[in-house]
Amino acid sequence: MNAITNTAPDEPQYAVVWPLGRLQVDGGTDFPKSLPDLNGATIGEMWDWLYKGDSLFPIVREELRKRYPDIKFVEYPVIGNIHGPDENEIVAGLPQLLQALGCDAVVVGVGH
Amino acid sequence: MRASVAAIRGGIPSVAIVGSHFQAQAKTIERSLGVQDSGMAVYPGHIRLDDENEFRRKVATDIVEQIISELGNVKISPARQGGEHKPREIVFRGSIDEVNAHFYDRQWTEGLPVIPPTLDRIDAFMKHTARRPDEVIGVLLPERREATVWNVAVNGVMSGCLPEYMPVLLALVEAIADPEFRIEDHGSTPGWEPLIVISGPVTKTLDFNFGTGVMRAGRRANTAIGRFLRLYTRNIAGLRIPPGETDRAGIGNPFNVVIAEAEDFVRSIGWPTYGMERGLKEGESGVTVQSMMGASAPMAGHGSEGNDLLGYLDPMADVFGKAILGYWVHTAVAFAHWDPLIIMNPQIAKLAADKGWSKNDIRNYLYERAQIPARDVEFRGRFVNLELASQLEKGIVPAAYGASKDPDRLVPCFYTPESIGIVIAGNPATTWQRGYMNNHEQGAAVTKNIAWDRG
Repeated sequence: MNAITNTAPDEPQYAVVWPLGRLQVDGGTDFPKSLPDLNGATIGEMWDWLYKGDSLFPIVREELRKRYPDIKFVEYPVIGNIHGPDENEIVAGLPQLLQALGCDAVVVGVGH
Repeated sequence: MRASVAAIRGGIPSVAIVGSHFQAQAKTIERSLGVQDSGMAVYPGHIRLDDENEFRRKVATDIVEQIISELGNVKISPARQGGEHKPREIVFRGSIDEVNAHFYDRQWTEGLPVIPPTLDRIDAFMKHTARRPDEVIGVLLPERREATVWNVAVNGVMSGCLPEYMPVLLALVEAIADPEFRIEDHGSTPGWEPLIVISGPVTKTLDFNFGTGVMRAGRRANTAIGRFLRLYTRNIAGLRIPPGETDRAGIGNPFNVVIAEAEDFVRSIGWPTYGMERGLKEGESGVTVQSMMGASAPMAGHGSEGNDLLGYLDPMADVFGKAILGYWVHTAVAFAHWDPLIIMNPQIAKLAADKGWSKNDIRNYLYERAQIPARDVEFRGRFVNLELASQLEKGIVPAAYGASKDPDRLVPCFYTPESIGIVIAGNPATTWQRGYMNNHEQGAAVTKNIAWDRG
Protein backbone atom coordinates (compact mmCIF):
# COMPACT_ATOMS: atom_id res chain seq x y z
CA MET A 1 0.00 0.00 0.00
CA ASN A 2 3.06 2.28 0.29
CA ALA A 3 1.73 4.43 3.11
CA ILE A 4 3.65 7.69 3.49
CA THR A 5 5.19 8.58 6.83
CA ASN A 6 6.50 11.90 7.95
CA THR A 7 8.50 11.34 11.11
CA ALA A 8 10.80 13.88 12.72
CA PRO A 9 13.78 12.45 14.66
CA ASP A 10 12.57 13.67 18.05
CA GLU A 11 8.94 12.51 17.75
CA PRO A 12 7.53 10.37 20.56
CA GLN A 13 7.62 6.65 19.97
CA TYR A 14 4.67 4.39 20.70
CA ALA A 15 4.79 0.69 21.57
CA VAL A 16 1.53 -0.75 20.33
CA VAL A 17 -0.39 -4.01 20.53
CA TRP A 18 -2.33 -6.14 18.07
CA PRO A 19 -5.91 -4.95 17.49
CA LEU A 20 -7.38 -8.27 16.35
CA GLY A 21 -8.57 -11.34 18.26
CA ARG A 22 -7.54 -14.97 18.19
CA LEU A 23 -8.94 -17.00 15.30
CA GLN A 24 -11.25 -19.65 16.62
CA VAL A 25 -11.47 -22.49 14.16
CA ASP A 26 -12.34 -26.15 14.45
CA GLY A 27 -10.20 -27.70 11.75
CA GLY A 28 -11.23 -31.32 12.23
CA THR A 29 -9.55 -34.20 10.46
CA ASP A 30 -12.31 -36.61 9.53
CA PHE A 31 -12.92 -35.51 5.97
CA PRO A 32 -14.80 -37.35 3.19
CA LYS A 33 -13.09 -39.40 0.49
CA SER A 34 -12.99 -38.69 -3.24
CA LEU A 35 -15.57 -40.06 -5.68
CA PRO A 36 -13.51 -40.92 -8.77
CA ASP A 37 -16.49 -42.53 -10.54
CA LEU A 38 -19.90 -40.89 -10.30
CA ASN A 39 -21.68 -43.87 -11.90
CA GLY A 40 -24.15 -45.19 -9.35
CA ALA A 41 -23.56 -42.22 -7.04
CA THR A 42 -26.41 -40.09 -5.69
CA ILE A 43 -25.80 -36.34 -5.94
CA GLY A 44 -27.81 -33.95 -3.78
CA GLU A 45 -28.66 -30.50 -5.15
CA MET A 46 -28.85 -27.48 -2.88
CA TRP A 47 -29.04 -23.75 -3.52
CA ASP A 48 -29.95 -20.51 -1.83
CA TRP A 49 -32.89 -19.55 -4.06
CA LEU A 50 -30.96 -16.50 -5.22
CA TYR A 51 -28.72 -17.31 -8.16
CA LYS A 52 -30.44 -19.30 -10.91
CA GLY A 53 -30.15 -22.74 -9.37
CA ASP A 54 -33.45 -23.64 -11.01
CA SER A 55 -31.82 -23.04 -14.42
CA LEU A 56 -28.40 -24.39 -13.50
CA PHE A 57 -29.19 -27.79 -12.00
CA PRO A 58 -31.11 -29.18 -15.01
CA ILE A 59 -28.05 -28.45 -17.20
CA VAL A 60 -25.71 -30.04 -14.65
CA ARG A 61 -27.95 -33.12 -14.48
CA GLU A 62 -28.14 -33.43 -18.26
CA GLU A 63 -24.39 -33.15 -18.74
CA LEU A 64 -23.46 -35.50 -15.91
CA ARG A 65 -25.92 -38.13 -17.14
CA LYS A 66 -24.23 -38.05 -20.56
CA ARG A 67 -20.98 -39.08 -18.90
CA TYR A 68 -22.31 -41.21 -16.03
CA PRO A 69 -25.52 -42.93 -17.17
CA ASP A 70 -26.18 -44.51 -13.76
CA ILE A 71 -25.80 -41.32 -11.74
CA LYS A 72 -28.81 -40.37 -9.58
CA PHE A 73 -29.92 -37.03 -8.21
CA VAL A 74 -31.85 -35.76 -5.22
CA GLU A 75 -33.24 -32.73 -6.99
CA TYR A 76 -33.22 -29.36 -5.28
CA PRO A 77 -36.95 -29.12 -4.47
CA VAL A 78 -36.55 -32.12 -2.15
CA ILE A 79 -34.06 -30.28 0.08
CA GLY A 80 -35.60 -26.85 -0.47
CA ASN A 81 -34.20 -23.39 0.15
CA ILE A 82 -31.05 -23.43 2.30
CA HIS A 83 -31.20 -19.64 2.84
CA GLY A 84 -33.79 -17.59 4.70
CA PRO A 85 -35.28 -17.24 8.16
CA ASP A 86 -34.57 -20.86 9.17
CA GLU A 87 -31.06 -21.00 7.70
CA ASN A 88 -29.19 -21.85 10.89
CA GLU A 89 -31.51 -24.74 11.71
CA ILE A 90 -31.46 -25.98 8.11
CA VAL A 91 -27.67 -25.95 7.91
CA ALA A 92 -27.33 -27.65 11.30
CA GLY A 93 -29.62 -30.47 10.16
CA LEU A 94 -28.03 -30.98 6.73
CA PRO A 95 -25.69 -33.89 7.53
CA GLN A 96 -28.56 -35.99 8.88
CA LEU A 97 -30.88 -34.99 6.04
CA LEU A 98 -28.33 -35.77 3.33
CA GLN A 99 -27.54 -39.12 4.87
CA ALA A 100 -31.24 -39.95 5.14
CA LEU A 101 -31.63 -39.08 1.45
CA GLY A 102 -28.74 -41.37 0.55
CA CYS A 103 -26.55 -38.62 -0.91
CA ASP A 104 -22.97 -39.64 -1.76
CA ALA A 105 -22.05 -36.03 -2.63
CA VAL A 106 -23.69 -32.63 -2.96
CA VAL A 107 -23.46 -29.69 -5.32
CA VAL A 108 -24.32 -26.36 -3.70
CA GLY A 109 -25.12 -23.10 -5.48
CA VAL A 110 -24.24 -20.35 -3.04
CA GLY A 111 -23.17 -16.98 -4.32
CA HIS A 112 -22.13 -14.82 -7.20
CA MET B 1 -20.41 -21.99 1.91
CA ARG B 2 -21.86 -22.84 5.32
CA ALA B 3 -24.12 -25.48 3.79
CA SER B 4 -21.27 -26.92 1.76
CA VAL B 5 -18.96 -27.19 4.77
CA ALA B 6 -21.82 -28.61 6.88
CA ALA B 7 -22.21 -31.43 4.33
CA ILE B 8 -18.47 -32.09 4.46
CA ARG B 9 -18.55 -32.18 8.26
CA GLY B 10 -21.23 -34.84 7.86
CA GLY B 11 -18.83 -36.93 5.74
CA ILE B 12 -20.32 -36.03 2.37
CA PRO B 13 -18.07 -34.49 -0.30
CA SER B 14 -19.38 -31.20 -1.64
CA VAL B 15 -18.75 -28.76 -4.45
CA ALA B 16 -19.88 -25.16 -3.96
CA ILE B 17 -20.66 -23.24 -7.14
CA VAL B 18 -19.47 -19.64 -6.77
CA GLY B 19 -18.99 -16.74 -9.15
CA SER B 20 -15.41 -15.71 -9.88
CA HIS B 21 -16.04 -12.35 -8.15
CA PHE B 22 -17.20 -14.19 -5.04
CA GLN B 23 -14.34 -16.69 -4.95
CA ALA B 24 -12.04 -14.78 -2.60
CA GLN B 25 -14.87 -14.19 -0.13
CA ALA B 26 -15.86 -17.85 -0.35
CA LYS B 27 -12.30 -18.89 0.51
CA THR B 28 -12.31 -16.56 3.52
CA ILE B 29 -15.61 -18.00 4.70
CA GLU B 30 -14.39 -21.58 4.32
CA ARG B 31 -11.27 -20.68 6.32
CA SER B 32 -13.51 -19.19 9.00
CA LEU B 33 -15.31 -22.52 9.09
CA GLY B 34 -12.01 -24.23 9.79
CA VAL B 35 -11.16 -25.75 6.41
CA GLN B 36 -9.51 -24.96 3.10
CA ASP B 37 -9.84 -26.44 -0.38
CA SER B 38 -13.34 -27.63 0.47
CA GLY B 39 -14.30 -27.95 -3.20
CA MET B 40 -15.46 -25.16 -5.48
CA ALA B 41 -16.67 -24.86 -9.06
CA VAL B 42 -16.06 -21.29 -10.18
CA TYR B 43 -18.50 -19.68 -12.63
CA PRO B 44 -16.53 -17.23 -14.79
CA GLY B 45 -18.07 -13.76 -14.39
CA HIS B 46 -21.49 -12.94 -12.94
CA ILE B 47 -24.22 -15.52 -13.34
CA ARG B 48 -26.98 -12.91 -13.65
CA LEU B 49 -25.30 -10.91 -16.40
CA ASP B 50 -24.83 -13.67 -19.01
CA ASP B 51 -27.49 -14.41 -21.61
CA GLU B 52 -29.04 -17.86 -21.73
CA ASN B 53 -26.63 -19.24 -24.36
CA GLU B 54 -23.55 -18.09 -22.50
CA PHE B 55 -24.99 -19.30 -19.20
CA ARG B 56 -25.68 -22.77 -20.66
CA ARG B 57 -22.22 -22.97 -22.22
CA LYS B 58 -20.43 -22.05 -19.01
CA VAL B 59 -22.48 -24.44 -16.87
CA ALA B 60 -22.21 -27.34 -19.34
CA THR B 61 -18.45 -26.95 -19.67
CA ASP B 62 -16.73 -24.97 -16.89
CA ILE B 63 -19.02 -25.91 -14.02
CA VAL B 64 -19.59 -29.57 -14.90
CA GLU B 65 -15.88 -30.20 -15.51
CA GLN B 66 -15.01 -28.67 -12.14
CA ILE B 67 -17.70 -30.67 -10.32
CA ILE B 68 -16.28 -33.91 -11.73
CA SER B 69 -12.73 -32.84 -10.96
CA GLU B 70 -13.43 -31.68 -7.41
CA LEU B 71 -15.50 -34.73 -6.44
CA GLY B 72 -12.92 -37.02 -8.01
CA ASN B 73 -10.07 -35.49 -6.05
CA VAL B 74 -11.21 -34.23 -2.65
CA LYS B 75 -8.38 -32.08 -1.25
CA ILE B 76 -9.98 -30.57 1.83
CA SER B 77 -7.77 -29.99 4.88
CA PRO B 78 -7.86 -28.03 8.14
CA ALA B 79 -7.32 -24.28 7.62
CA ARG B 80 -3.82 -23.02 8.25
CA GLN B 81 -3.42 -20.27 10.83
CA GLY B 82 -0.65 -17.78 11.43
CA GLY B 83 0.25 -14.24 12.43
CA GLU B 84 -1.44 -14.42 15.82
CA HIS B 85 -0.23 -12.29 18.73
CA LYS B 86 -0.80 -12.29 22.48
CA PRO B 87 -2.88 -9.44 23.94
CA ARG B 88 -0.07 -7.56 25.73
CA GLU B 89 2.61 -8.37 23.17
CA ILE B 90 4.14 -5.30 21.57
CA VAL B 91 3.84 -5.79 17.81
CA PHE B 92 5.35 -2.50 16.65
CA ARG B 93 7.20 0.59 17.90
CA GLY B 94 7.24 3.87 16.07
CA SER B 95 6.08 7.45 15.73
CA ILE B 96 2.43 8.35 15.27
CA ASP B 97 2.87 8.31 11.49
CA GLU B 98 4.76 5.03 11.55
CA VAL B 99 2.16 3.35 13.74
CA ASN B 100 -0.59 4.51 11.43
CA ALA B 101 1.30 3.35 8.36
CA HIS B 102 1.98 -0.04 9.97
CA PHE B 103 -1.69 -0.51 10.88
CA TYR B 104 -2.97 0.73 7.53
CA ASP B 105 -0.69 -1.61 5.61
CA ARG B 106 -2.11 -4.55 7.57
CA GLN B 107 -5.70 -3.39 7.04
CA TRP B 108 -6.14 -2.75 10.77
CA THR B 109 -7.65 0.70 10.18
CA GLU B 110 -10.46 1.96 7.97
CA GLY B 111 -8.27 4.67 6.45
CA LEU B 112 -8.64 7.32 9.15
CA PRO B 113 -5.75 7.94 11.55
CA VAL B 114 -5.91 5.97 14.79
CA ILE B 115 -4.74 6.71 18.32
CA PRO B 116 -1.82 4.29 18.97
CA PRO B 117 -3.09 1.43 21.18
CA THR B 118 -0.43 1.52 23.87
CA LEU B 119 -0.67 -0.54 27.03
CA ASP B 120 -1.19 2.45 29.30
CA ARG B 121 -4.08 3.75 27.18
CA ILE B 122 -5.71 0.30 27.07
CA ASP B 123 -5.27 -0.16 30.81
CA ALA B 124 -7.09 3.15 31.34
CA PHE B 125 -10.09 1.67 29.50
CA MET B 126 -9.88 -1.55 31.53
CA LYS B 127 -10.32 0.49 34.72
CA HIS B 128 -13.92 1.14 33.62
CA THR B 129 -14.98 -2.50 33.69
CA ALA B 130 -14.77 -5.28 36.24
CA ARG B 131 -14.63 -7.88 33.48
CA ARG B 132 -11.48 -9.89 32.84
CA PRO B 133 -9.51 -8.76 29.77
CA ASP B 134 -9.43 -12.30 28.37
CA GLU B 135 -13.18 -12.81 28.64
CA VAL B 136 -14.53 -13.91 25.27
CA ILE B 137 -17.73 -11.99 24.56
CA GLY B 138 -18.39 -13.91 21.38
CA VAL B 139 -16.85 -15.16 18.16
CA LEU B 140 -17.53 -12.86 15.23
CA LEU B 141 -18.15 -14.31 11.80
CA PRO B 142 -17.19 -14.38 9.00
CA GLU B 143 -13.51 -14.24 10.08
CA ARG B 144 -14.37 -16.07 13.32
CA ARG B 145 -12.15 -14.05 15.62
CA GLU B 146 -12.70 -13.86 19.35
CA ALA B 147 -14.27 -10.63 20.57
CA THR B 148 -12.69 -10.06 23.98
CA VAL B 149 -12.90 -7.35 26.60
CA TRP B 150 -9.25 -6.61 25.80
CA ASN B 151 -9.64 -6.07 22.07
CA VAL B 152 -12.75 -3.94 22.70
CA ALA B 153 -10.48 -1.61 24.68
CA VAL B 154 -7.77 -1.72 22.00
CA ASN B 155 -10.17 -0.71 19.25
CA GLY B 156 -11.81 1.83 21.54
CA VAL B 157 -8.44 3.52 22.00
CA MET B 158 -7.80 3.46 18.25
CA SER B 159 -11.20 5.02 17.48
CA GLY B 160 -10.63 8.04 19.70
CA CYS B 161 -13.03 6.95 22.44
CA LEU B 162 -12.60 8.08 26.04
CA PRO B 163 -11.88 5.39 28.67
CA GLU B 164 -15.25 6.03 30.33
CA TYR B 165 -17.01 4.89 27.14
CA MET B 166 -15.82 1.33 27.83
CA PRO B 167 -19.13 -0.01 29.29
CA VAL B 168 -20.94 1.30 26.20
CA LEU B 169 -18.42 -0.36 23.88
CA LEU B 170 -18.82 -3.68 25.67
CA ALA B 171 -22.61 -3.53 25.36
CA LEU B 172 -22.26 -2.79 21.64
CA VAL B 173 -20.06 -5.81 21.09
CA GLU B 174 -22.48 -7.98 23.07
CA ALA B 175 -25.20 -6.78 20.70
CA ILE B 176 -23.37 -7.59 17.47
CA ALA B 177 -22.15 -10.92 18.88
CA ASP B 178 -25.74 -11.95 19.55
CA PRO B 179 -26.72 -14.54 16.88
CA GLU B 180 -29.95 -12.59 16.35
CA PHE B 181 -27.90 -9.75 14.83
CA ARG B 182 -26.30 -11.97 12.15
CA ILE B 183 -22.95 -10.18 11.96
CA GLU B 184 -21.89 -12.86 9.46
CA ASP B 185 -24.11 -11.12 6.89
CA HIS B 186 -22.57 -7.68 7.38
CA GLY B 187 -20.57 -8.17 4.17
CA SER B 188 -23.63 -8.96 2.03
CA THR B 189 -23.89 -7.22 -1.31
CA PRO B 190 -26.60 -4.60 -0.55
CA GLY B 191 -24.05 -3.05 1.82
CA TRP B 192 -25.50 -2.20 5.21
CA GLU B 193 -23.90 -0.41 8.14
CA PRO B 194 -24.55 -0.83 11.88
CA LEU B 195 -26.77 1.88 13.35
CA ILE B 196 -26.67 2.51 17.09
CA VAL B 197 -29.35 4.04 19.29
CA ILE B 198 -28.23 4.84 22.82
CA SER B 199 -30.79 5.09 25.62
CA GLY B 200 -31.02 5.99 29.27
CA PRO B 201 -29.14 8.28 31.66
CA VAL B 202 -25.88 7.59 29.81
CA THR B 203 -27.14 9.91 27.10
CA LYS B 204 -26.50 12.84 29.43
CA THR B 205 -23.64 11.52 31.54
CA LEU B 206 -21.46 10.87 28.48
CA ASP B 207 -22.68 14.01 26.68
CA PHE B 208 -24.33 12.56 23.58
CA ASN B 209 -25.96 14.92 21.14
CA PHE B 210 -29.68 14.30 20.64
CA GLY B 211 -30.59 17.70 19.22
CA THR B 212 -29.50 19.73 16.23
CA GLY B 213 -27.61 17.65 13.66
CA VAL B 214 -28.11 14.49 15.69
CA MET B 215 -26.70 12.33 12.88
CA ARG B 216 -23.76 14.62 12.14
CA ALA B 217 -20.19 14.10 13.27
CA GLY B 218 -19.09 16.67 15.84
CA ARG B 219 -19.94 15.44 19.34
CA ARG B 220 -17.22 13.09 20.59
CA ALA B 221 -19.42 10.40 22.17
CA ASN B 222 -21.70 10.07 19.13
CA THR B 223 -18.86 10.14 16.62
CA ALA B 224 -16.10 8.14 18.29
CA ILE B 225 -18.43 5.36 19.44
CA GLY B 226 -20.00 5.14 15.98
CA ARG B 227 -16.54 4.89 14.48
CA PHE B 228 -15.53 2.27 17.05
CA LEU B 229 -18.26 -0.15 16.05
CA ARG B 230 -17.40 -0.05 12.35
CA LEU B 231 -13.68 -0.39 13.07
CA TYR B 232 -14.44 -3.31 15.37
CA THR B 233 -16.49 -5.17 12.75
CA ARG B 234 -13.61 -4.62 10.33
CA ASN B 235 -10.93 -5.89 12.70
CA ILE B 236 -12.70 -8.69 14.53
CA ALA B 237 -15.43 -9.86 12.14
CA GLY B 238 -12.91 -9.24 9.34
CA LEU B 239 -15.19 -7.22 7.08
CA ARG B 240 -12.75 -5.39 4.83
CA ILE B 241 -13.25 -3.88 1.39
CA PRO B 242 -10.53 -4.64 -1.22
CA PRO B 243 -7.73 -5.43 -0.89
CA GLY B 244 -9.61 -7.31 1.84
CA GLU B 245 -11.73 -10.22 0.72
CA THR B 246 -14.82 -10.49 2.88
CA ASP B 247 -16.84 -7.31 2.44
CA ARG B 248 -18.87 -7.64 -0.78
CA ALA B 249 -20.95 -4.45 -0.40
CA GLY B 250 -22.07 -3.10 -3.74
CA ILE B 251 -21.77 0.50 -2.56
CA GLY B 252 -22.20 0.80 1.22
CA ASN B 253 -22.18 3.89 3.43
CA PRO B 254 -19.74 5.59 5.82
CA PHE B 255 -20.07 4.59 9.46
CA ASN B 256 -23.02 6.04 11.33
CA VAL B 257 -22.67 8.29 14.34
CA VAL B 258 -24.68 7.17 17.37
CA ILE B 259 -28.30 8.33 17.63
CA ALA B 260 -29.36 9.52 21.06
CA GLU B 261 -32.92 10.36 22.06
CA ALA B 262 -34.22 13.54 23.70
CA GLU B 263 -35.52 11.45 26.58
CA ASP B 264 -36.49 14.25 28.99
CA PHE B 265 -38.59 15.74 26.22
CA VAL B 266 -40.19 12.36 25.46
CA ARG B 267 -41.17 12.00 29.10
CA SER B 268 -42.51 15.56 29.18
CA ILE B 269 -45.08 14.68 26.53
CA GLY B 270 -46.04 11.47 28.29
CA TRP B 271 -44.63 9.02 25.76
CA PRO B 272 -42.41 6.02 26.53
CA THR B 273 -38.80 6.43 25.48
CA TYR B 274 -37.32 4.28 22.73
CA GLY B 275 -35.22 2.52 25.35
CA MET B 276 -38.28 1.65 27.43
CA GLU B 277 -39.97 0.25 24.35
CA ARG B 278 -36.88 -1.91 23.81
CA GLY B 279 -37.20 -3.33 27.31
CA LEU B 280 -34.98 -1.07 29.43
CA LYS B 281 -36.27 -0.17 32.88
CA GLU B 282 -36.40 3.37 34.24
CA GLY B 283 -32.86 4.42 35.17
CA GLU B 284 -31.20 1.75 33.03
CA SER B 285 -28.99 2.59 30.08
CA GLY B 286 -28.60 0.47 26.98
CA VAL B 287 -27.67 0.27 23.34
CA THR B 288 -29.65 -0.97 20.38
CA VAL B 289 -27.82 -1.93 17.21
CA GLN B 290 -29.46 -2.67 13.90
CA SER B 291 -28.50 -2.55 10.25
CA MET B 292 -28.99 0.57 8.14
CA MET B 293 -29.31 0.07 4.40
CA GLY B 294 -30.31 3.59 3.55
CA ALA B 295 -32.07 6.71 4.73
CA SER B 296 -35.00 8.66 3.38
CA ALA B 297 -34.80 12.27 2.30
CA PRO B 298 -35.42 14.66 5.19
CA MET B 299 -39.19 15.01 5.54
CA ALA B 300 -41.20 17.92 6.84
CA GLY B 301 -44.78 18.82 5.89
CA HIS B 302 -46.29 18.18 2.46
CA GLY B 303 -46.97 21.88 2.07
CA SER B 304 -48.88 21.84 5.33
CA GLU B 305 -48.55 24.44 8.02
CA GLY B 306 -49.22 24.83 11.70
CA ASN B 307 -50.86 22.02 13.56
CA ASP B 308 -51.83 19.74 10.68
CA LEU B 309 -50.34 16.53 12.12
CA LEU B 310 -51.15 14.38 9.10
CA GLY B 311 -49.28 16.84 6.94
CA TYR B 312 -46.14 15.70 8.75
CA LEU B 313 -46.99 12.00 8.97
CA ASP B 314 -48.08 11.49 5.38
CA PRO B 315 -44.59 12.19 3.95
CA MET B 316 -43.25 9.52 6.30
CA ALA B 317 -45.77 7.05 4.94
CA ASP B 318 -45.30 8.11 1.33
CA VAL B 319 -41.60 8.98 1.03
CA PHE B 320 -40.15 6.57 3.55
CA GLY B 321 -42.89 3.93 3.66
CA LYS B 322 -44.07 3.50 0.10
CA ALA B 323 -41.04 4.65 -1.86
CA ILE B 324 -38.17 3.27 0.21
CA LEU B 325 -39.56 0.44 2.32
CA GLY B 326 -41.94 -0.51 -0.48
CA TYR B 327 -38.97 -1.18 -2.72
CA TRP B 328 -37.43 -3.64 -0.22
CA VAL B 329 -40.38 -5.08 1.73
CA HIS B 330 -40.26 -8.28 -0.33
CA THR B 331 -37.11 -9.19 1.60
CA ALA B 332 -38.90 -8.58 4.91
CA VAL B 333 -41.62 -10.97 3.76
CA ALA B 334 -39.08 -13.52 2.49
CA PHE B 335 -37.04 -13.46 5.70
CA ALA B 336 -39.96 -12.69 8.04
CA HIS B 337 -38.25 -9.76 9.74
CA TRP B 338 -38.08 -5.97 9.42
CA ASP B 339 -36.88 -3.14 11.67
CA PRO B 340 -37.68 0.22 10.06
CA LEU B 341 -36.61 3.14 12.26
CA ILE B 342 -37.89 6.70 12.30
CA ILE B 343 -36.28 9.76 13.81
CA MET B 344 -39.27 11.89 14.70
CA ASN B 345 -38.82 15.57 15.29
CA PRO B 346 -39.63 16.70 18.85
CA GLN B 347 -42.06 19.35 17.63
CA ILE B 348 -44.04 16.82 15.63
CA ALA B 349 -44.03 14.39 18.54
CA LYS B 350 -45.43 17.15 20.77
CA LEU B 351 -48.02 18.06 18.17
CA ALA B 352 -49.15 14.44 18.07
CA ALA B 353 -49.15 14.06 21.85
CA ASP B 354 -51.13 17.30 22.26
CA LYS B 355 -53.75 15.83 19.94
CA GLY B 356 -53.93 12.72 22.11
CA TRP B 357 -51.92 10.45 19.82
CA SER B 358 -49.70 7.77 21.33
CA LYS B 359 -46.61 6.29 19.70
CA ASN B 360 -48.70 3.28 18.75
CA ASP B 361 -51.26 5.55 17.10
CA ILE B 362 -48.42 6.91 14.95
CA ARG B 363 -47.32 3.38 14.10
CA ASN B 364 -50.83 2.29 13.16
CA TYR B 365 -51.38 5.34 10.99
CA LEU B 366 -48.14 4.84 9.06
CA TYR B 367 -48.81 1.13 8.69
CA GLU B 368 -52.30 1.67 7.32
CA ARG B 369 -51.35 4.47 4.93
CA ALA B 370 -48.13 3.02 3.51
CA GLN B 371 -49.43 0.21 1.33
CA ILE B 372 -48.55 -0.87 -2.19
CA PRO B 373 -49.99 -3.44 -4.61
CA ALA B 374 -49.05 -7.03 -3.82
CA ARG B 375 -47.96 -7.53 -7.42
CA ASP B 376 -45.07 -5.07 -6.85
CA VAL B 377 -43.88 -7.05 -3.84
CA GLU B 378 -44.11 -10.34 -5.71
CA PHE B 379 -42.43 -8.88 -8.81
CA ARG B 380 -39.41 -7.63 -6.86
CA GLY B 381 -39.53 -10.74 -4.72
CA ARG B 382 -38.42 -12.76 -7.74
CA PHE B 383 -34.90 -11.66 -6.82
CA VAL B 384 -35.08 -13.77 -3.67
CA ASN B 385 -37.51 -16.33 -5.13
CA LEU B 386 -40.17 -15.10 -2.74
CA GLU B 387 -42.98 -17.59 -2.44
CA LEU B 388 -45.58 -15.41 -0.75
CA ALA B 389 -48.31 -18.07 -0.78
CA SER B 390 -45.96 -20.54 0.91
CA GLN B 391 -44.87 -17.95 3.52
CA LEU B 392 -48.53 -17.28 4.32
CA GLU B 393 -49.34 -20.98 4.46
CA LYS B 394 -46.54 -21.54 6.96
CA GLY B 395 -47.91 -18.64 9.01
CA ILE B 396 -44.52 -16.93 9.22
CA VAL B 397 -45.61 -13.63 7.68
CA PRO B 398 -48.55 -11.48 8.77
CA ALA B 399 -51.94 -12.40 7.31
CA ALA B 400 -52.23 -8.83 5.97
CA TYR B 401 -50.08 -9.93 3.02
CA GLY B 402 -52.66 -12.50 1.95
CA ALA B 403 -56.01 -10.82 2.54
CA SER B 404 -57.09 -12.02 -0.92
CA LYS B 405 -55.59 -13.52 -4.06
CA ASP B 406 -56.07 -10.27 -6.02
CA PRO B 407 -52.61 -9.21 -7.25
CA ASP B 408 -53.73 -5.59 -6.97
CA ARG B 409 -54.65 -5.89 -3.30
CA LEU B 410 -52.74 -3.46 -1.11
CA VAL B 411 -50.17 -4.83 1.31
CA PRO B 412 -48.17 -3.04 4.04
CA CYS B 413 -44.73 -1.52 3.52
CA PHE B 414 -43.98 -1.38 7.25
CA TYR B 415 -44.41 -5.18 7.73
CA THR B 416 -46.16 -4.79 11.11
CA PRO B 417 -47.00 -1.69 13.20
CA GLU B 418 -44.97 -3.13 16.11
CA SER B 419 -41.83 -3.34 13.97
CA ILE B 420 -41.57 0.45 13.61
CA GLY B 421 -38.92 1.97 15.89
CA ILE B 422 -39.52 5.61 16.82
CA VAL B 423 -36.74 7.80 18.27
CA ILE B 424 -37.49 11.42 19.15
CA ALA B 425 -34.46 13.54 18.27
CA GLY B 426 -33.18 16.32 16.06
CA ASN B 427 -33.39 20.09 15.88
CA PRO B 428 -36.51 21.16 17.78
CA ALA B 429 -36.55 24.50 15.97
CA THR B 430 -37.35 22.66 12.73
CA THR B 431 -39.76 19.92 11.71
CA TRP B 432 -37.34 17.68 9.80
CA GLN B 433 -37.68 13.94 10.23
CA ARG B 434 -36.07 10.92 8.64
CA GLY B 435 -36.53 7.18 8.17
CA TYR B 436 -33.90 4.44 8.15
CA MET B 437 -34.30 1.06 6.50
CA ASN B 438 -32.64 -2.08 7.82
CA ASN B 439 -31.90 -5.26 5.87
CA HIS B 440 -34.62 -7.68 7.06
CA GLU B 441 -33.10 -10.30 9.41
CA GLN B 442 -29.56 -9.19 8.58
CA GLY B 443 -28.74 -6.71 11.30
CA ALA B 444 -31.95 -7.28 13.26
CA ALA B 445 -32.36 -4.78 16.11
CA VAL B 446 -30.69 -6.11 19.26
CA THR B 447 -30.71 -4.27 22.60
CA LYS B 448 -28.24 -4.79 25.45
CA ASN B 449 -28.02 -3.17 28.85
CA ILE B 450 -24.93 -1.19 29.70
CA ALA B 451 -23.32 -2.59 32.83
CA TRP B 452 -21.74 0.05 35.07
CA ASP B 453 -19.87 -2.52 37.12
CA ARG B 454 -17.19 -0.03 38.16
CA GLY B 455 -19.62 2.66 39.25
